[in-house]
Amino acid sequence: MNLRKIVHGTWMAFCVFLLVSPALFFFIWMLSLSLKYEIDNGAYPPILIPERIAWKNYAGVFESNNFLLYFKNSIIVTGGATLLALMVGVPAGYGIARMRATKSAMVIMIARMTPGLSFLIPLFLLFQWLGLLGTLVPQILIHLVVTVPIVIWIMISYFETTPLELEEAAMIDGATRWQVFRNVALPIAKPGIVVAFILSVIFSWNNFVFGIVLASRETRTLPVAVYNMLSFEQVSWGPLAAAALIVTLPVLILTIVAQRQIIAGLTAGAVKGG
Amino acid sequence: MASVTIRDVRKSFGAVDIIKGVSIDIQDGEFVILVGPSGCGKSTLLRMIAGLEDISGGEIRIGSRVVNNVPPKDRDIAMVFQNYALYPHMTVAQNMAFSLKLKRSPQGEIDERVARAAEILGLKPLLERFPRQLSGGQRQRVAMGRAIVRDPQVFLFDEPLSNLDAKLRVAMRAEIKALHQRLKTTTIYVTHDQIEAMTMADKIVVMHDGIVEQMGAPLELYDRPANLFVAGFIGSPAMNFIKGNVGSNGFKAESGQTFPLAAAPAASDGRPMVYGIRPEHIRLTDEGVPVEVVVIEPTGSETQIIVRPAGERDKPVADHSSAITCVLKDRIAARPGDVIRIAPDPKSIHLFDESGRRV
Ligand SMILES: Nc1ncnc2c1ncn2[C@@H]1O[C@H](COP(=O)(O)OP(=O)(O)O)[C@@H](O)[C@H]1O
Ligand SMILES: [Mg+2]
Repeated sequence: MNLRKIVHGTWMAFCVFLLVSPALFFFIWMLSLSLKYEIDNGAYPPILIPERIAWKNYAGVFESNNFLLYFKNSIIVTGGATLLALMVGVPAGYGIARMRATKSAMVIMIARMTPGLSFLIPLFLLFQWLGLLGTLVPQILIHLVVTVPIVIWIMISYFETTPLELEEAAMIDGATRWQVFRNVALPIAKPGIVVAFILSVIFSWNNFVFGIVLASRETRTLPVAVYNMLSFEQVSWGPLAAAALIVTLPVLILTIVAQRQIIAGLTAGAVKGG
Repeated sequence: MASVTIRDVRKSFGAVDIIKGVSIDIQDGEFVILVGPSGCGKSTLLRMIAGLEDISGGEIRIGSRVVNNVPPKDRDIAMVFQNYALYPHMTVAQNMAFSLKLKRSPQGEIDERVARAAEILGLKPLLERFPRQLSGGQRQRVAMGRAIVRDPQVFLFDEPLSNLDAKLRVAMRAEIKALHQRLKTTTIYVTHDQIEAMTMADKIVVMHDGIVEQMGAPLELYDRPANLFVAGFIGSPAMNFIKGNVGSNGFKAESGQTFPLAAAPAASDGRPMVYGIRPEHIRLTDEGVPVEVVVIEPTGSETQIIVRPAGERDKPVADHSSAITCVLKDRIAARPGDVIRIAPDPKSIHLFDESGRRV
């Protein structure tokens, strides 16, 4: 019995390792690259753990390339696009879930599947005409194409799982439609909102296509800036990997921190149980 | 507090008629129980009274006001759901205070009312807990607390005890009844459990397939069921039904045996009828009808025996069509296979005609 448990555990661990190892490998390789001097990076056979650690790669990223400006741009674009998406998408998801408006849900899905580039050209012309191209507004707005459908879809499935009786109880307790949403449905949906928030941030943060077209030198976001390092300067792997890691880091931290929130099943105990 | 008047109410979901014309008068302060088998439309009717379902036809009044088009929040009712429907993100105190908060009652009054309800229901030590930290019985109590803080016109209960274990259910039954005697609020209570109905109600409404089969005081339904459905539904173990017809010296069963009758109904000779006798109204006597014992179930306080007309030994055990259940106060020495003689009490006989109506 005990032996079987151990065998089972080992087997599980092996499978998990197999599944995540490609992603893990790239991540570790990037980490290694970012900590090596150029000489070590070109060495053959490759060196995983260098003897001399090149902290200067990281320092360099912060010193050069307007990195802090791009970081700030990224935060404003992602933050703006995510907050707007939550403001629109959470009530929309609630409405669609409660009215069983599956057709509108499909329309939103189609918007999500349409390639972003097809929105890009008309919007580019529109923003040019409005004279907004030097600002971050166009990027915030166009990121909504990505973030709003994510938020709506997550919220639909979340609201569909919250028991209707709770809302009926609130209606009988004297709540208006809005109060039912505000005081009952919304707080219960908090874990869903957290998930929607995180995915929205990740997708918006990593988005690259919109920025490359819409951003000027002052309005670049981080992925665009990293891409520019690659194309215009001579390719130096160490600083590039360091920059890429710094770009990924906020998303990584966010996911780890919010994991508990997601798991905390707030609905537990709402209905029945024992 | 208020009376509730239900006039010829109908409900259809699409083309399916679920409630087919129900009229019930509920007096101010009355405890009325809607009882019937699962799926007969009890919850639907209750939800129409609450305003959670539209009314397809007819009229519902609370007090003198027609509420057909009044939203639930303006009906001044409170409802306890089968699964309690406690707000998971609020403490017990907040759950109870929610309706008063929405009414913008002053904080002092809210605190006072919540404290009083908690006192009545013994929830004082639990006020700061969340629903997930409570047992089933405690949740049930909080759901009731949420209803009583409001001091509404009408309480609605939808099978509030069906998620509790048997022992707790009996205890809560008594508690709800005591609560009603204390608050005297008009109550409409839905259950599929006829024992709950018999023990708690001032008036029972027996529903079946979207119609009211009979309504009246519990013992009225027990003593004079209006039709076969009510006769079979009220009482436990259920009434025995024996098919046959009325003869010159009693009731002639299809099995050939003759059962006693107090007085033969007029003009009933020869027509097929159903003879109903409750298990607890059968005695053992030496002059009775001979039957064969199939099963004996002693419970200590009484003995339940299932018998079959003697001479049907070869019938399959699963064929209950001619089985008769008897409940005896005494312990008896008979064993399965023995032949005993039973005698229904002639004063406690119920006769039903072909269409199932009482004659
Ligand atoms: N929203 C609905 N749509 C369609 N049919 C329904 C709906 N609600 C209830 N019903 C049907 O109405 C009947 C009565 O349901 P209900 O009132 O819940 O029965 P009960 O509470 O007596 O068990 C059932 O057959 C059920 O399937
Ligand atoms: Mg029901």
